[in-house]
Amino acid sequence: MLRLLSIFVKIKKSIIMSKQYLWVTFLFVAIFTFNSCKKDDPVIVDPPELITSLNYTLTPSGGGDAITLTFQDLDGDGGNDPIIYGGTLAVNEIYTGSLELLNESVTPSEDITEEIEEDDEDHQFFFQTDVTGLSVTYNDQDADGNPVGLASTVSTGIAASGMLTVILRHQPDKEANGVSDGSIDLAGGETDIEVQFPINVQ
Amino acid sequence: MFNKKLNLIFLAFFALLNCKAQECNIAITGTVIDEASQSPLSYVNIFIQETQTGTTTDDDGQFAFDDICEGHYHFIVSHIGCADEKFHFDIFQDTTINIGLSHTPTSLGTVVIAGQQNDFDNQANLTVKRNIIEDNSNQNLSGMLENETGIHLLKNGNGISKPIVHGLYGNRLMVLNNGVLQSGQQWGNDHSPEIDPFSSDKITVLKGASVIEYGGGNLGSAILTAPKRIEREPHLHGQINYIFETNGFGHTVNSRLQKYTPFLAWRVNGTFKKYGDKKTANYFLNNTGLEEYNLSLQLEKNWNDRLFLDFYASTFNTRLGVLRGSHIGNLTDLEQALNNEVPFFTESNFSYNLEAPKQHVSHHFVKAKTKYFISDQQILEIIVAGQLNDRKEFDIRRTERKDIPALSLKQYTFNSDIKYSHTFGDYWKFKIGNQNIITDNTNNPETGILPLIPDYRSWKSGFFSTLSFDKNKSSLNLGLRYDYEQQTVLKISNALPREIVRFENKFHNVSGLFSYKIKIAETQSIGWNIGYAMRNPAVNELYSNGLHQGVSGIEEGDAELAVEKAMKNTLEYKWIPSSNFAFNVLAYHQYFNDYIYLNPQDEVRLTIRGAFPVFKYEQTDATIYGLDISTQFTVNHSILGLLRYSYLKGEDVENEVPLIFMPPNSFFGSLTYRAPKSIKLTKKLKMEDFEIELSNRLVFEQKNILEGQDFVLPPSSYNLVGLKFSNNLILPSYKIRSFIKADNLLNVRYRDYLNRQRYFADDIGLSITVGINVKF
Repeated sequence: MLRLLSIFVKIKKSIIMSKQYLWVTFLFVAIFTFNSCKKDDPVIVDPPELITSLNYTLTPSGGGDAITLTFQDLDGDGGNDPIIYGGTLAVNEIYTGSLELLNESVTPSEDITEEIEEDDEDHQFFFQTDVTGLSVTYNDQDADGNPVGLASTVSTGIAASGMLTVILRHQPDKEANGVSDGSIDLAGGETDIEVQFPINVQ
Repeated sequence: MFNKKLNLIFLAFFALLNCKAQECNIAITGTVIDEASQSPLSYVNIFIQETQTGTTTDDDGQFAFDDICEGHYHFIVSHIGCADEKFHFDIFQDTTINIGLSHTPTSLGTVVIAGQQNDFDNQANLTVKRNIIEDNSNQNLSGMLENETGIHLLKNGNGISKPIVHGLYGNRLMVLNNGVLQSGQQWGNDHSPEIDPFSSDKITVLKGASVIEYGGGNLGSAILTAPKRIEREPHLHGQINYIFETNGFGHTVNSRLQKYTPFLAWRVNGTFKKYGDKKTANYFLNNTGLEEYNLSLQLEKNWNDRLFLDFYASTFNTRLGVLRGSHIGNLTDLEQALNNEVPFFTESNFSYNLEAPKQHVSHHFVKAKTKYFISDQQILEIIVAGQLNDRKEFDIRRTERKDIPALSLKQYTFNSDIKYSHTFGDYWKFKIGNQNIITDNTNNPETGILPLIPDYRSWKSGFFSTLSFDKNKSSLNLGLRYDYEQQTVLKISNALPREIVRFENKFHNVSGLFSYKIKIAETQSIGWNIGYAMRNPAVNELYSNGLHQGVSGIEEGDAELAVEKAMKNTLEYKWIPSSNFAFNVLAYHQYFNDYIYLNPQDEVRLTIRGAFPVFKYEQTDATIYGLDISTQFTVNHSILGLLRYSYLKGEDVENEVPLIFMPPNSFFGSLTYRAPKSIKLTKKLKMEDFEIELSNRLVFEQKNILEGQDFVLPPSSYNLVGLKFSNNLILPSYKIRSFIKADNLLNVRYRDYLNRQRYFADDIGLSITVGINVKF
């Protein structure tokens, strides 16, 4: 034990005598100064591209009240479950469909629809349904003459029920076979939105 | 075209220059050991009187001289506490010299010479040497290790890869750059270590539990990269290296310059790389190019024969493209991509363009080290280092946000390391040390996205002590380590209204090791290693929360995770009956208590982008075990054969299911023909070391996985054939090495289980690489 102690004393001596002393001092000063200051709080950002809500407004061409299908997830991915409102449509009716995308996590809420309009060559909505007799067609075009889907026409047939899926693809290949007719199979790109609404036609 | 011209100019240039002609291509390597303790001696000066050149041994007691002419030489060996020793040698061929120094000033040292250099590494750990680094400098650090036993690569496309040692990677595997723990965003499976391998002279993989003196949550394995000490050579020396690869039309230029003066020795390394789209057997992988610029500076100053000062600074900068077709929105997209033969966005034209998704990563590193020989028996070593890791990842985004990164992290790290070692008597050595690591990780709010990894600061302080005993036939090692870690985490809540939640964590980790090695016969040895280690959960495992775009899943950390404990056993057997044959087998077993892993949950989370699977960080008990077998033989000094096999199995013992992302078994074999004689082309130009190497890598299908553990079943086994021709041209003051090689010679279509890109696309097809290296 005593021998070990004497070794340490010897080390200490040598340290002081050598230039190492400078290093050791620098080292500890650095550690303590660095550790003593408090870490700053992070900046809370409002995600500008977050889409919290999708409203699909269907206005009957024969007059009457518009129906709005809504998907709303205010806290984004995770957290609370989203709220979904489906709708009841009339048989053999034609509706003018209009899509609206919002970021409602900020006040005032932000309209993302404008971004899609601005970048419409890079976006396309797709509509899929298992409701018998229900069909959706495009009612708008981008600069290249390809569909976007912000404006659409929905026609109903016989009384039926099921789901209507609305998908937004970013950077799809609009020139691929069938894509401009609303077929998603060869579209590629990545999904920005994929929501499902329960639909009742009666 | 341009390159061809450049090569010709090079050749012409060097053909014109010559001074003294002779056989000047001999390599002399060796080790200096302390006779009594048999342990390697570092910082021993070795000087050749006739050439007036000198070098210093590295930390493993090794030294090397290149390009020595045939002749008679006097070697002067000097070391603190020893009288200068002079040895005389007649050198006619590549020679290995092992020098034993005795610290008692009166007795003479002993020397053992092995004629032809034996390639087989005699150390327990695995080492990649400089010549392999130079020939492969177009690859990243991990790529250098690909064909070694027990090592695998976790990839994300071709440009991004992480090494896996015995099934461990990321937070569980340490990478040491110049003796300092490399700091960065290790948690990400799509983050490569930011090190330019060209700056290193050797890459060592520690597979046993012998890593106790390095801090940083290691569980028994580590990768070390280090440059060698600058040769004591008063003239300016250097090299220039150029490599062209057909696949990706990639150019790599490296250069190194160095000079020794009594005042200061310096060395500079530089690397530039540019690659475009890689190609599979059938189609281009769009947006998979890369650009890289690296620079490093190494300075060495010897104040006197007791005090040495080393300084090292480096900067690493890369831009990496990620396959466009692998960027997906949700699970439906993934399913569609899985069914697609050729990925979406595949174009028929090659391009150097780098667009989102891509990564811009910079890593800056500064280190100062002093080594002080207090006496013959006592050494004090101090390292201080600082690092800045700057990572930006760009995703596909709308409108003007295209140019704003989706992930932007800056991490500052400060490292300090003090080690003191003391040799007692002839056989015992005692070492004690302390390491501090301060890490400061900050998200840049420019992204406009809630961060996946919160801002944090951590301080880690560790103390270790080892005791080793070394006597002729047996050696023994005993080590203990304690680490304290303190984390301050500032997390932005997911719940609305968003607020900042502060977490303060404190962890205490203990680890220990015992190893024993014995020579059971003149030609055989057995080594046993047992180590226990603890690793506290990393910040990503505790607090990550949100959508991980790369894996198309929602990842949730668990703030209540406990410390992970691991017990690793390795048993190694070596048999070297002659200089023509060597056999080595290493068996390992590692048991984990509270193994932290991402467990897929039954629930599917509904978001506006569709449904996503949820993964939670959970803990279980697991085991990973395997075998590394390698053998090497030579016939007539002209044929060299190499066989390597790695077997590995990982099990979750608590839930009785296989662990996912475990490396499949693999086999590597190569046969090299080396021309035994050199050919004199002209009076002053000589060709030597002409080699033809045929290699074969067989990777088996990973069968140890259940259906439903992954999105798709592992790809089937594949076999890649490689062929390489190389030779050296020797001019009086230049050495020109050139090679041409083909990887995936048969242009096989395959997918690799450990490459995440396998969900979307095939792996790389045929690639031909041409390289030229000029040393002067």
